[in-house]
Amino acid sequence: MTTTSIPPTTSPYAGTDSVRGAWRVVAEREITTRVREKTYRYSLLAMVVGIVATVVLSSLLGGKPTDHTVGVVDERGAGIVTAASAEVDRADDGSSAEPRELASAEAAEQAVRDGDIDAALVPTDDGYEVIGDKEIDGTLSAALTSAASGQVLESNAEEQGVDLGELTAGSAVSERLLDADAEDAGSRQVAAFVFVLLFYVTAVTFGMTIAQSVVQEKESRVVEILAAAVPIRALLWGKIAGNTVLALGQIVVLVVTGVAALAATGENGLLSSIGPAMAWYVVFFVLGFVALAGLWAVAGSLASRQEDLGSTTMPGQIILFAPYILAVAAGEGVKTVVSLVPVLSAMIMPARMAEGGVPAWQIAVALGGNVIGAFLLVRFAARLYERTLMRTERKIGFGEALKLSD
Amino acid sequence: METMLDISSLSRSYDDVMVVDDVSFTVVPGRVTGFVGANGAGKTTTMRMILGVLAPTSGEVLWDGRPITTAQRRRFGYMPEERGLYPRMKVREQLVFLARLHGITREEAARRATELLEHFDLGDRADDVLDTLSLGNQQRVQIAASLIHRPDALVLDEPFSGLDPVAVDAMAALLAKEAGDKPLLFSSHQLELVERLCDDLVILSHGKVVAAGPVEELRGRGPDRYRVSLDGGDIAWIRDLRGIDVRDVDGATAVVDLCGVSASELLSAVVARGPVREFTPVRQSLSAIFREATR
Repeated sequence: MTTTSIPPTTSPYAGTDSVRGAWRVVAEREITTRVREKTYRYSLLAMVVGIVATVVLSSLLGGKPTDHTVGVVDERGAGIVTAASAEVDRADDGSSAEPRELASAEAAEQAVRDGDIDAALVPTDDGYEVIGDKEIDGTLSAALTSAASGQVLESNAEEQGVDLGELTAGSAVSERLLDADAEDAGSRQVAAFVFVLLFYVTAVTFGMTIAQSVVQEKESRVVEILAAAVPIRALLWGKIAGNTVLALGQIVVLVVTGVAALAATGENGLLSSIGPAMAWYVVFFVLGFVALAGLWAVAGSLASRQEDLGSTTMPGQIILFAPYILAVAAGEGVKTVVSLVPVLSAMIMPARMAEGGVPAWQIAVALGGNVIGAFLLVRFAARLYERTLMRTERKIGFGEALKLSD
Repeated sequence: METMLDISSLSRSYDDVMVVDDVSFTVVPGRVTGFVGANGAGKTTTMRMILGVLAPTSGEVLWDGRPITTAQRRRFGYMPEERGLYPRMKVREQLVFLARLHGITREEAARRATELLEHFDLGDRADDVLDTLSLGNQQRVQIAASLIHRPDALVLDEPFSGLDPVAVDAMAALLAKEAGDKPLLFSSHQLELVERLCDDLVILSHGKVVAAGPVEELRGRGPDRYRVSLDGGDIAWIRDLRGIDVRDVDGATAVVDLCGVSASELLSAVVARGPVREFTPVRQSLSAIFREATR
């Protein structure tokens, strides 16, 4: 019988172009193994619940409309409170002020003290007095003051036969914001912080997954069989691809949850202002994660046992922790600079974008830097990975790995 | 022409220490080649270089007379000395994964995994996690892993270690069937086993090949040795004969090496002195060859 070294391509065992497809098989195993883990599903669920809770809570605490009840003792006072209600609504979305007729100034004072009403508006010799218990809501107080002076002015003008319209002509003052983004500044800062936090948590989680998956293969010695079956690089690509898909999936789920929660709580203004930043966030996350994925794999291949991961994953942890701390603690200037440094910028730039006012060129620089950074870092990591993966006998240091020959 | 696996002048050094030194031999298809040597002789290192898991310092591996390609290496079946599979993965799933790495479709891989597991009577454990199996059964799964992609050649490092005699027979039968007309190289410490299973032998000592060739030829090597027994009486007089080297005399029996006379000349000389009960050539045992070669 004659055999040749080239198997017939029609056989299921031919495997002609399978060298190229091997990374996909590796990626698929990474994904299915992880998705089946209970810890993975529970932690994702916990994060989804966390985001919904954050959005709902901040919506309740921040924008909750208040209905102020103001005690009055005369008809004029009731009119002032009714007029003030419109002002309160304008200043504090959905809030209102309602008059409650009371017998006397003393009764009104007592009602305030008892907490039955939020404030009382009682006439004095030279006008009105707003009475509160320990404090008076600023918006309410301002609205009452302006409504009172408006009403009194109107009636005085009427008494004296003066045309109030003529008298106040040219005094109208309106507002125009140059930095319209500054609206919702507080909410946007919260969003930026949540961006950074979730970036950090997700990147570290799946980075550690890569490192653990590599060291598990070394510990169980299956790596020897894998290396005989496929090129070592295919193993690396598969791990990077599989875990990037998982991490991206998680980020997308979280972003969609955030969007849905914002929409459901009626925060449409905030949504439309940070929406683009959310989209960029996903793009930057992928670039930032891929850039470091290779290093996480190297952290696994330097280790010989799970216990070694603590030290070998240190560089990855630091590279992620540094921008996290900067994003939380650093000033505007530092953040601007770091948001242009490749890899670190992946975390900082979307956060700055959520806060608003980032020039387009800076976004372009950060983006370009990350693409190049990811490319170079993965190549560098692939070399280290190939050199160290098969050395199962002991832990190898980063410095030592750099000196190793192939 | 059948496809040969040639190992050509492979060397590997670690920190200037030669672990494998200019090793050359051929694994002939359709014949079982045994790879023996003391611990640390360099068998595992050589096998890892054949599989491309370890890069040689110099030398090459030839397939069909040409330097082997990565694609061809992927069509080899390999069982490493340090066993390894995913401990927390299900048996069948694991085999299918490995088969797919070798480029086989999922459906075919599943069929093949079932076939191999049934051969080992592990069909009912297919969906169990590997580390719930006994060590012997894990070893069987390991063998299945090396056969899952119907390899073009088999390189097995100590495939029989840790198996009971019945399991050894079952595995030997399977290997014979699977290897068929393909090159099969396996290493072992168990010389009786090697003697029973191998057609060819490569003996490694301190990183060098000290003997290689068909087992019959290796055993026939060395002096022409005969055992002569008389039908009673003392054979001590045989020491006076010329052209032989007497190795041992014990009563009526002697063991002699021929050096100058032919076997028939010796036989005539002995028959002339009285009735002969036995006159047989003595073949060296494998352990004798091994001891001699690695001395």
